[in-house]
Amino acid sequence: MKPSFKASIAAGLLSLSVASIPFPALAQKATVRMWTFLNPAGTTPREVTLAKIVSDFQAANPDIEIVTETHAFDQLTPKFLAAHGAGKAPDIIWAATDFLGDAIGAGSLADLNDLFIKKWTPEQIADRKGPYWDLTNRNGKQYALFTSRNYISILYRPDFFKEAGLDPATIKTWDDFVKAAKALTVTDTSGQIVRYGFAQGYSEHQADPLLMIPMVLASGEGIFKKDGRANFASPAGVAAMKFQTDLIKEHKVSPPQAATWTVDDVYEQFASGRAAMILGASVRVSTLQSKLGDDKVGMMLWPGSGDVKHAPAVMAGWAVGVWSGSKVKAQAGKFVEYMLGPDGDKLWVTSGGQSPGLQSTLNGLGDFTKQPGKAYLNVASEGSANYGWLAPIDFSAGGYRQALNKAGQRILVNGEDVKTSLERAEAEFNRQHKR
Amino acid sequence: MHPKYTGIQYIIPAFALLTLVLFSPVFYGVWFSLFHIQYGAATTFAGVQNYQDLLADPTLPGTLQRSIIFTGAAVSITIVLSLALAVWIHKLGERRGFLVQMVVIVPWIISTVVATLLFRWVFVNDIGLAGSIVKMMGLDEIHLLNSPHSAMALLIAVSVWKRIGYAVIILLAGLKGIPDDYEEAARIDGATPWQIFRRITFPLLKTPLLLVAIVLTLSNLNTVETPLVLTGGGPGDATRILPMDVFDRAFITYDLGSATALALAMFFGNVLLVLAYVRLAKWKT
Repeated sequence: MKPSFKASIAAGLLSLSVASIPFPALAQKATVRMWTFLNPAGTTPREVTLAKIVSDFQAANPDIEIVTETHAFDQLTPKFLAAHGAGKAPDIIWAATDFLGDAIGAGSLADLNDLFIKKWTPEQIADRKGPYWDLTNRNGKQYALFTSRNYISILYRPDFFKEAGLDPATIKTWDDFVKAAKALTVTDTSGQIVRYGFAQGYSEHQADPLLMIPMVLASGEGIFKKDGRANFASPAGVAAMKFQTDLIKEHKVSPPQAATWTVDDVYEQFASGRAAMILGASVRVSTLQSKLGDDKVGMMLWPGSGDVKHAPAVMAGWAVGVWSGSKVKAQAGKFVEYMLGPDGDKLWVTSGGQSPGLQSTLNGLGDFTKQPGKAYLNVASEGSANYGWLAPIDFSAGGYRQALNKAGQRILVNGEDVKTSLERAEAEFNRQHKR
Repeated sequence: MHPKYTGIQYIIPAFALLTLVLFSPVFYGVWFSLFHIQYGAATTFAGVQNYQDLLADPTLPGTLQRSIIFTGAAVSITIVLSLALAVWIHKLGERRGFLVQMVVIVPWIISTVVATLLFRWVFVNDIGLAGSIVKMMGLDEIHLLNSPHSAMALLIAVSVWKRIGYAVIILLAGLKGIPDDYEEAARIDGATPWQIFRRITFPLLKTPLLLVAIVLTLSNLNTVETPLVLTGGGPGDATRILPMDVFDRAFITYDLGSATALALAMFFGNVLLVLAYVRLAKWKT
């Protein structure tokens, strides 16, 4: 036998013997892939919070590794659905409300009862009950838990209100709203407007639900018909669209250039002091406060009309679920339970600046919401409980915000008639969804 | 093995790789487009239904028209400007020429999303640099994105700005490849600079010009990032071009059937365009 051959045999035997040594921790370590829009390496409060939650969880569960993959928020759920169709989806998904019905209908989400909810006490379930819980519950199966609960109403600059001698609490009706917006609009000596009373963006890219939607909902009318077809051009819809476009055309309290602003443009304008009130989301408050200061950003509910004290704001959020085809469902479920459980929920509120998902978290916050700048958490919680609206999930609602924004653009830029524009938006939405 | 098969043997690995990464998604797309799609998965066979739905869409002719205007204008302007720039740089000294090349190519090497955002922040958004300058000059605020025509003009401008660096580099390489003797001989024969350019330089640039035209056409015709970030397709539908329509169908309304059908139609349109370019230029290898 040649020495080199002997050496090869010896090396082979050594390899086999090493491979046979049991390494339980290494062998059993499960990798759980999660798709979200937050980047754990980022610096915004929510991103920092997610990074901490992942790190804490991994420290407590060394046999599980959470791998976070970040996607653009408007593409996240459609990409997940496509990945589910291809059989290669991530183990945990953050699904947007607009596509939640598709995600459940596609059978892409596992029943969380089987993973961990069946072990919960009735008190634990009651702690989480509410419209968000109901939205993800079908036929007794719980497909997801909500996080990043988003209440979209008015964000305002308390310093500008003070400067104008206004109290946000006095804005009770839409007329009050227009009056306040006028008082907050500031013109320089040359006659140019340097600050607008109110701003919202009409771009189809990164579209938030515009002011007209709460107005329509407050009238008792719906945005959709029962069969899922659009109901934009109702008399209430026409009146609401006219109201919001008149803020630019008639009252001059909103910027005409907002016809092409995205959500991010609106926040930039707000942060730079070019708008005193904006249509804004509760989840963005902490980021804005980190830029401007805690006392420079407030949140209020929409005004009401008639018997409706406050118009229902569009609520959104991210439904976190476990992929039905995951090979590591148990581990994925364990992380979801931790991330949205009492410890995680408290972190999302105190560090991430989000609205609490559990009643016990809200109760346990004590004086936290009395701290400067934290009152918005109470506003969002009150609004979510009493004055909120979630897009239906019995049919796909994807694209309704974009359709309404485009209708607004046509009115503002092309001078199109309000009713005609809304009817066009209805027809386009119905055609796109083959309804 | 017979010598005539030797060449085939060499290209098999490359062809297999190309088939895997380039052609297999096309084949999959063709197959996918022939089915009803529900929740992202192919369900029942639909034949050409997705294509029929696409053709029946009343917004499609407008989108196609805007795509042709955008691509035609962006490609023409880029080629004219880049040719002028390349000729100018070619005449500059080595050091100055290098510096100008570096400046021109910067927009090309940065990501399209970043480049478009920069453009939006500096030139468009009224809290940006351009807005401040306009205000300092005592002029009224300008809202270029709010008019359908100026929004399209801006989209074309961004596209030209983004891609001109690539065109300049390719054309400059073409110019450097032309022997100096030709120009010198023409000058001795009494040709004017314009005659030299028209009769000698331009014809000898046919191949790089064709390459630039093809690449620019394809990149403009298929760009989704620029309109998405700059205008979001608005105002109204003023800057909605075909790739954005595919994006919206796939990711906004989640109509994967028509999105796939449109994407495939665009793919075959691209192939036809390349063939047409090559044929028009009578390119012989």
